[in-house]
Amino acid sequence: MISLLQSEWFKLRKSKFVFTAILLGPLITFFYALMLQPDTFGLEKRFLWEFLIAFTTLLYALRFLPLTTGILAGLICRYEHQNGGWKQLLALPVTRSRVFLAKYTILMLITLTMQLLYLLAIWTSGVLKGAEEPFPMMLLWKSIFGGWIATLPLLALQLWMSMLFKSFAAPFAVNVVFTLPAILAVNSEKFGPLYPWAQPFLMMYVSGDAENDIFFVPWEQVLTVVGGSFLIFFFGGLLYFRRKENI
Amino acid sequence: MEYIVETHHLTKRFGKEIAVNALNLKIPRGEVYGFLGPNGAGKSTTLRMLLGLMRPTAGSIRIFGKDLKKERISILRNVGSLVESPSYYSHLTAYENLEAMRKILGSPKEKIDEVLDLVRLSNAADKKVKSFSLGMKQRLGIAMALLNDPKLLILDEPTNGLDPSGIIEMRNLIKRLPKEKDITVLISSHLLSEIDQVATYVGVISKGKLIFQDSIKAMRNKAQLKIRLKVSDANNAYRSLLAKGIKTHYQDHIIYLYEQSDEAVAAVVETLVDEGYSVYRVEEEHQSLEDIFLKMTAGGDDR
Ligand SMILES: Nc1ncnc2c1ncn2[C@@H]1O[C@H](COP(=O)(O)OP(=O)(O)OP(=O)(O)O)[C@@H](O)[C@H]1O
Ligand SMILES: [Mg+2]
Repeated sequence: MISLLQSEWFKLRKSKFVFTAILLGPLITFFYALMLQPDTFGLEKRFLWEFLIAFTTLLYALRFLPLTTGILAGLICRYEHQNGGWKQLLALPVTRSRVFLAKYTILMLITLTMQLLYLLAIWTSGVLKGAEEPFPMMLLWKSIFGGWIATLPLLALQLWMSMLFKSFAAPFAVNVVFTLPAILAVNSEKFGPLYPWAQPFLMMYVSGDAENDIFFVPWEQVLTVVGGSFLIFFFGGLLYFRRKENI
Repeated sequence: MEYIVETHHLTKRFGKEIAVNALNLKIPRGEVYGFLGPNGAGKSTTLRMLLGLMRPTAGSIRIFGKDLKKERISILRNVGSLVESPSYYSHLTAYENLEAMRKILGSPKEKIDEVLDLVRLSNAADKKVKSFSLGMKQRLGIAMALLNDPKLLILDEPTNGLDPSGIIEMRNLIKRLPKEKDITVLISSHLLSEIDQVATYVGVISKGKLIFQDSIKAMRNKAQLKIRLKVSDANNAYRSLLAKGIKTHYQDHIIYLYEQSDEAVAAVVETLVDEGYSVYRVEEEHQSLEDIFLKMTAGGDDR
């Protein structure tokens, strides 16, 4: 399994645009955060961290995060589709489940890296803005880690779609179609909590009323909406790949 | 005999079409097994099933004496393959392609240079495969197939796209492998001439059915000359010969002799004349392997 992961990462990192894609979201977040002026909102400086995260998630969690992971899921399958990569890979002593799991794990780790880069972007801009408080660990856990958890089901679906479609554009279009309504969903009390594509935002967005919860959204929501969609998308994709005939 | 590959009633159906029909392949160890059949006969489908890329509709596969369904991973550890058009990652160099594969196989790094050298790609090792010619890609495919020091090498039309000197190189390489490395080779082609030059054993597949399987020597024997007799009232003449204990083959008013020595032919002619039949012609008929192959594969469309 480790060797399969190494091989997958080797193939992916030699692809074009991988690092650009990973860096783009956090980088734009950084510059956007630098421009934000908490004073104009009449906020006290001690809430600077919360302020920065709350404002940048609109851009990052609602747009860059899901779109970038979609691109990466496409990339990690693209070179397999192009010149008979699948049949060569699957004729090696590997099982299809492991190949699926290896690709998913790589995507998962890259997403975690992106979250940490996002954290770095927020932290650097906060320090440059003269933050007085240290970065709250609560935010690190809730927002950064929570956002990662919320992205896991989307990753699974993106991987499934990228395996299903030979073209790069088709799974990306599917991704965009589901990602765009998220901005409407997060404004809806009723629909938002149920919509998987709204979860990265909802889980990263700093909301004060959830002080006592483990994440920024109720635990039941994490379990049912995020957990449920993860199970469906992950095992849907895995089963599809295991049964695929025309390799 | 020890069989490296043994299939039992191997069958693959696509909808209504039976692409592979109850195949009983037997591939003896140390042979170069030529898997021969016209386009669409079911060669690639069979090879895909042998590699576990496709699930058989029915039947079973044993490789190295192990059941493919149960021990796929341990079998594939010792199999190298090249199925249909060569597969490669175009964004990687030849070396990197092999490296991506080596990481999974766990072979030592030196193996990469060794196989690149074997297929004469050492000079192009650091070029992106995107820029390779078809022949170079094909050779890279062979290099990949050899990376894990396989005991069984499965090659689907490996000379496709090679120029004449490339074909000769490939042939020599394939012939060398069983002797030098104890590799059993399964090589498919739709050209008899290809198989004829490298194979020691042959399986002929047509419309999904295995219609011949034996050593290439046995196939050549089939191709030997025949003596044909044209006589008056041929059917009765054939019976009279049979009554005298002389076995022949009767078809379309022609009598074919099994025994072909001068004495045997003379004896048959003498008998026929004694019995009152007129002998019009005694001829030799030459059949090339190509004729045999064509005759075999032209057989009735009965799938
Ligand atoms: N994935 C598939 N779906 C449906 N039919 C298929 C599929 N793969 C192969 N076939 C059919 O099965 C038959 C055998 O095809 P196969 O590719 O095995 O032939 P082949 O002997 O390799 O021919 P060639 O010499 O052209 O490579 C053909 O009629 C083909 O149309
Ligand atoms: Mg074929």
